[in-house]
Amino acid sequence: MKKYVLILTTCMLSACDGLFDIHPYDVKFSGETGINKKQMAVIESHFKNSDTLRVAFISDTHLWLSDARDQVADVNKRNVDFVVHCGDLTDTATAKEYEWSRDILQGLKAPFVALIGNHDYLGTGDQSYGVMYGDKDFSFIAGRVKFVCLNTNATEYDYLAAVPNFDFMEEEMVKDSAQFDRTILVMHAPPYSDQFNNNVCKAFRRYLDYFPGLMFCVYGHNHDDVVEDIYNDGLLFYSIDCAQHRKYRIFTITPDGYEMEHITY
Amino acid sequence: MKWNILLISIALQLCALPALANDNESPSTETAPAPELSAYEKHVQRMTSKWASLIPTHMVIQNAGNMGIVSAGIGWSYGKRHQWECDLMFGYIPMHDSNRGKLTSTIKANYMPWNICLNPNGDWNKKGRWNFEPLSASLYINTVYGHEFWRSQPGRYPDKYYDFMSTKFRLNAAIGQRLTYVIPQSKRQHHNRVTLFYEVGTCDLYVRSMFQTSIPLKDILGLSIGAKFYML
Repeated sequence: MKKYVLILTTCMLSACDGLFDIHPYDVKFSGETGINKKQMAVIESHFKNSDTLRVAFISDTHLWLSDARDQVADVNKRNVDFVVHCGDLTDTATAKEYEWSRDILQGLKAPFVALIGNHDYLGTGDQSYGVMYGDKDFSFIAGRVKFVCLNTNATEYDYLAAVPNFDFMEEEMVKDSAQFDRTILVMHAPPYSDQFNNNVCKAFRRYLDYFPGLMFCVYGHNHDDVVEDIYNDGLLFYSIDCAQHRKYRIFTITPDGYEMEHITY
Repeated sequence: MKWNILLISIALQLCALPALANDNESPSTETAPAPELSAYEKHVQRMTSKWASLIPTHMVIQNAGNMGIVSAGIGWSYGKRHQWECDLMFGYIPMHDSNRGKLTSTIKANYMPWNICLNPNGDWNKKGRWNFEPLSASLYINTVYGHEFWRSQPGRYPDKYYDFMSTKFRLNAAIGQRLTYVIPQSKRQHHNRVTLFYEVGTCDLYVRSMFQTSIPLKDILGLSIGAKFYML
């Protein structure tokens, strides 16, 4: 009998792949991982010296996967240089959901990077994000514009972690300063939202002043499409709508400024 | 809290069922004139037989099924045709790309409505008997241990933000089939029968996903295979 148990156990352990579901939060992926690092390298090499950039910002895919598929098809028609996903790639952060949204985003013809949203933290979700996409704070430079992507999901850490990470922001203000003149700030949750550490909203705004040529900020999370001067000082915050509402924004960045298109598909 | 109470009450009810089943069967076997027992002896007998129903009837081992790479545990089978079963299992989720491996526990109820003998004319005493159960339906609650998982949303979230879910508890459902070999009496050592089974199942989060969007059914279904070794 023991022999059978042993054989059976070996079969079970060795045969586990794809067909078998270990656990929704098992952080076990098939397919591509470490996406942001690879895609940032592509973006930086392709658009380093571009005069104009066409960047699509999408957000909050959650489980509206059919809408997300249509969104990807729509973005593909509009000739953008690259795509930034502002977070909430999943609804309950299971490994399967991470794979589902990744597989859809991989349909994009243009390179893409993705931020972490608050929903992507559930269970072992933040570990999954780390494996599939990479660091939660990251930046890249295209067309002499630095895109600083910040993790602002402070609530997920009970406000105990350095979120937003001011050290990272200080580094980014000066790092590679010869290669960029302007900055765009991307985050999932905007200041004064339920996820932001609202005790530091004003300090956060002060820090933004030190970024060279800060143009505007982009965020997701709220599932709406408002354009707001949150601090009443001229700095615009563009909200990117969720996949369900079938809206997103494309920014065309020129040496003189930028144009924003609000796309409905 | 309500999850704990639910789990405990399910466990207690499932444990009570075999006791009831045994009670129903016992009068028929006691046909011989019983010697006069004192009130105390009757009490002991009653108590022993009740507690005896808590002795596990089988051991179970199975893989996957959203419970870990492999889970093992004990179980109780009851009902006239052993058509009901309750399993208590502990499983292990390997580290994969996460920070560490995790332990899970599962309480599982199985129902097998039909049992077909595959060799009705065979020599059961010599070669044993093969039974096929064309359908097994299972419902189980899996708990995963670790500080990342909460049973209801922590206070940091806005009210009712994650009201629909718990990251710690998963309700799973599965259907499958089973093949049982009843070992001939003369050859029995530790077990009287062995069952091999497979099941295809999914969990609440995946079913919820299906209702929210279009996902192919195969994406939310997982296969599990296992074996049961019956002592009683």
